[in-house]
Amino acid sequence: MYDFIIAGAGISGSFIADALCRAGCRCLMLEAGMGFARHEYPANGMDGNSRLYWSGGLELGHDSKIAFLRPKVVGGGSVVNQALVDRFDADALDSWRSVSKVSFFNEKDMAPLYDAAESRIEIQEIPADFRNKNAMIFGQGFENLGYKHAPLRRAQSNCRLEEGNCCIECLNGCRLGSKQSMPETVLKSALENGLDLISEMQVMKINDKKGMIEVEARDSRAGSALFRAGNLVLAGGAVGNAAMLLRSGFDRKLPAIGTGFYCHPQFMSFGLYDEVINSHLGAFQAFKSDDKGFRKGGFKLENVYAGPEGIALLIPGFGKKHQQYMEKLPHFACIEVCTRDTDPGRVSISKKGKILIRKERNQEDIRRYEKGRKVIEQIFRSTGAKQVIHGKIGIGLHLMGCCPIGVDPADSVVDPEFRLHGYKNIFAADSSIFPNAPGINPSLTIMALSAKAGADIARSL
Amino acid sequence: MIISRYFSQSQLKGLLKAGDVLVPGTENSPGFSETGCIAHIDRMAEFLSEDDLSGLKMVLSVFRWLPSWKIALIFRLCSKNEHFPSFIGAGLRMLEIGVKGAVFSPYYAGLSKPGYNGKKVHDAIGWHTRLAIRPDELPEKKMRINYESPDKKDIAIIYERAKESADQIRQWPVKKRLEFITALKSVVLENQEKILDRIQADTGKSRFDAITAEIFGVLDFLDYLEKNAIKFLSERKVATPFALMGKSSKIWFEPLGVVLMISPWNYPFYQAVVPIMQAFIAGNAVVFKPSSATPLKGLVEELLEQADFRPGWVQVVYGSGSEIGDALVDAGPDKIFLIGSQSVGRHIMERAAKQLIPVELELGGKDPMVVFEDVNVDRAAAGAVWGAFTTTGQSCTSVERLFIHESIYEQFKDVLVKQTLELSQKKSSDPETDIGPMCTIDQVKKIADQVEDARNRGAKFLTGENWDGKSPFIPPMIIEGVTSDMLIDRQENFGPVLPIYKFSSEAQVIELANDPEYGLSASVWSKDLERARRVARAINTGNVSINNVMLTEGNHALPFGGTGKSGFGRYKGEFGFYAFANIKSVLEDRDSSKMEANWFPYTKKKYRIFSDFTRALYSQGRLSGMVKGAYHGLKLEAHVKKLAGNKFRKYQ
Repeated sequence: MYDFIIAGAGISGSFIADALCRAGCRCLMLEAGMGFARHEYPANGMDGNSRLYWSGGLELGHDSKIAFLRPKVVGGGSVVNQALVDRFDADALDSWRSVSKVSFFNEKDMAPLYDAAESRIEIQEIPADFRNKNAMIFGQGFENLGYKHAPLRRAQSNCRLEEGNCCIECLNGCRLGSKQSMPETVLKSALENGLDLISEMQVMKINDKKGMIEVEARDSRAGSALFRAGNLVLAGGAVGNAAMLLRSGFDRKLPAIGTGFYCHPQFMSFGLYDEVINSHLGAFQAFKSDDKGFRKGGFKLENVYAGPEGIALLIPGFGKKHQQYMEKLPHFACIEVCTRDTDPGRVSISKKGKILIRKERNQEDIRRYEKGRKVIEQIFRSTGAKQVIHGKIGIGLHLMGCCPIGVDPADSVVDPEFRLHGYKNIFAADSSIFPNAPGINPSLTIMALSAKAGADIARSL
Repeated sequence: MIISRYFSQSQLKGLLKAGDVLVPGTENSPGFSETGCIAHIDRMAEFLSEDDLSGLKMVLSVFRWLPSWKIALIFRLCSKNEHFPSFIGAGLRMLEIGVKGAVFSPYYAGLSKPGYNGKKVHDAIGWHTRLAIRPDELPEKKMRINYESPDKKDIAIIYERAKESADQIRQWPVKKRLEFITALKSVVLENQEKILDRIQADTGKSRFDAITAEIFGVLDFLDYLEKNAIKFLSERKVATPFALMGKSSKIWFEPLGVVLMISPWNYPFYQAVVPIMQAFIAGNAVVFKPSSATPLKGLVEELLEQADFRPGWVQVVYGSGSEIGDALVDAGPDKIFLIGSQSVGRHIMERAAKQLIPVELELGGKDPMVVFEDVNVDRAAAGAVWGAFTTTGQSCTSVERLFIHESIYEQFKDVLVKQTLELSQKKSSDPETDIGPMCTIDQVKKIADQVEDARNRGAKFLTGENWDGKSPFIPPMIIEGVTSDMLIDRQENFGPVLPIYKFSSEAQVIELANDPEYGLSASVWSKDLERARRVARAINTGNVSINNVMLTEGNHALPFGGTGKSGFGRYKGEFGFYAFANIKSVLEDRDSSKMEANWFPYTKKKYRIFSDFTRALYSQGRLSGMVKGAYHGLKLEAHVKKLAGNKFRKYQ
């Protein structure tokens, strides 16, 4: 008999499981995705998209304008993200506090939580020597235009740049073992502390049986299984948690389930230069924007790149012309605008049990994107780009909300003690509890909140 | 040909078309279809959601029938999606992202078909990444397996691979497995001359024998599978008796797992492909050991690879039976299928018995041909000459004893000898050659012993008397005066030696034709079909041709197998599918509160009603029996219900 079932083996699940196992609880973690040993991660974008994400890589919303990248793998987002770890600023936390009325959303209370989270992983900045030409253009552009930028902080330990590594495999897992993904860090520790993990086991439905939790799950061959435990931790992310709760009818008591979905819609733009840039060589990310004006404007710029499978999808058109653009890939520089979205989306379940994501961009969101796009255009032009190509498809990869934290069961789902309102034994602390879009990469904050939740739950037992 | 678990051939064609519209190729970059990257599409399709996959399949099915310019037009519309009302725009975007994803992903991942030598996509787009990793951090996954004279360790790995493959094949529905059969058919056709060269090089048989028996035979069998496999391997509903009313009964034909197949040297291509494919279509993985005398080394694997068979599905192991046969049996296949000699059959069966592995044996024969006096002599004699000497007599169903009615004996003999002397014999790719040399020296020695024994005991050689007893070019021999003490009268000859006998009556020839040992095949020749059928029934054999010879094998709808010491079990035809299937009986009932009458508790009253029910149901007078049966059945049901109610109350 387990004390806890943890639904989802991502960042939140790993942190909470580790805390609970250390406190002597018997924990069972169920994960829909596959588990990989370090050397087994896919080597190309096609296999990466197929094996590490839901729906073969891209999940489309109701109007197919935004493609969602939703991880489905042991380790969750920490396996497939770009490993950027940033603390939230006062702006993000204040706005959360005012929406949710949760008092610990302030820089002072959060600081020790961030400290605790950061102590579990290695964080590095890319040394100046290894910044590649794409990064140089980013930096040069910011300087030309008088905007502020800063080095990126990445959760990585050793990318072997001095050995000539240039793999760009971060989005497919990390065969180097450099990325501080959960299987390399906190999940590993949880397993060492007695966690039981079953992968390829998707939680379908949750039944609350008089204080006992019964979980209906399905394995990769659609075989069904039933698990029981005293408590349940929901750690399936925004869409996953919403789906589990909605399929189980929890929205009858908690109408806010599925509402307040945010995703920081991101758009990549490419600058085409005469000279060779080779954006994929060396460290492919080094800078981020650090400009107060941008923050106020509701967007940020990122120095990024992607594999050719992804870039081909973003470049408009098809046929010979499209291919000739692809042949100029070595001359591409790339910058991404990430918008802090204000238009809340909604996740629901169709009659057939299918997940539906409704996510629009209101005028404000579009304005935010256009501001960012204009700056990108300026950066590229000021550094000598001959042409600028804007990716058409929006990408949603910071999936947040749907079970917002708050004090009022009418408009929130999780209480300040990370319990589902009205349930003393169901918990959540992952990105699903975010009350709105912070405009900053979420993973470090998920770690911090989950570390707190793990400790709080363990203490309350 | 590419075969996908998820897409039909026509959908794949649609994808190739769309691919070439999206990625037509430039001076520096290859086109989509050119790279063959579509061969990897399953790696992606496997992980698509059901809805996405079915949507994509639908679009590709349509693309299959559209000219490229119309597909281009659709993508041009897609790129203008924002000008359309929201739901149409959403559909266009979905279509664009879906198809582009399916095309760009394998193409820009730099994948290609095996053996692709053209321009590399990653060179064209300057995508050169490097993973600075030490080799010891990336363990080599591939294990080298020695398929030539494998040792125990190799064999263990081969079986492990076969088991994994069997799990894979099981997932492919019969219809999908048939796509591989279709692919193989065209590969065999394309490679016909090469295959014939290889068969001739290994066996020495004439080219005409090779094309009729091995190429035509194989293609005809594959064709038979295409037309019949689904029918015979589909779920079959069977009647459910009255007493089990409300339930349903069916039979599922499921794979056995791993089949070990051992084939002889006489028809190395046919005896490889036919049983392997019959086992494969039923969903099994195969470990195949060809004869070490005629292994056609590498040929079957090469053809299967061209037909897109995955490497573990059919593994060919080489080596002599005496060296690796036991280890192959001991490794524990789910079934053993052997075509070979009695002695090998006995040995394999003994060995398999230790682990209770089911075996199916197709062994030799001493096949009789019975010719009555009312036949067309020229035709029947021509049939006898072919039946005895095709493939130099090295067929398990070749004519080994010819019984001629005494009234036409001399006349028939003259024609027989004349036709035999006209046969040409050499080792040549000339299609006009009738027969070639013997295939193995061992067999030459065996025949030399039989011939010398016959000569010493007074048999008369009508042809071939000048053979030196050593040359593999054994001339076709017709001998008479054979008596029951001679080896040639009892032992399988498996060469071009035909003893002829005289008979006087139907009863006598039936007695003569019925061999105490063998019962593989036979032929009966007479204008009087009644008589021919009568005799055909009276001969103890697995296969019989009337007014023709060795022709049951010409129809793949007929099962093949022997009686007596010619083996047991049947392959080919409908029954052949079941040689490689687990015939699973299924009885399906619904979940309910209903208890069964034959379950506990047993009571006196229940016994009495059940006894009445039985008597009513099975006594004479069908209609009244049914009515009475129904009456007692209802009574029984009511009683059981009452009992269950009592029991339930007791526990409450």
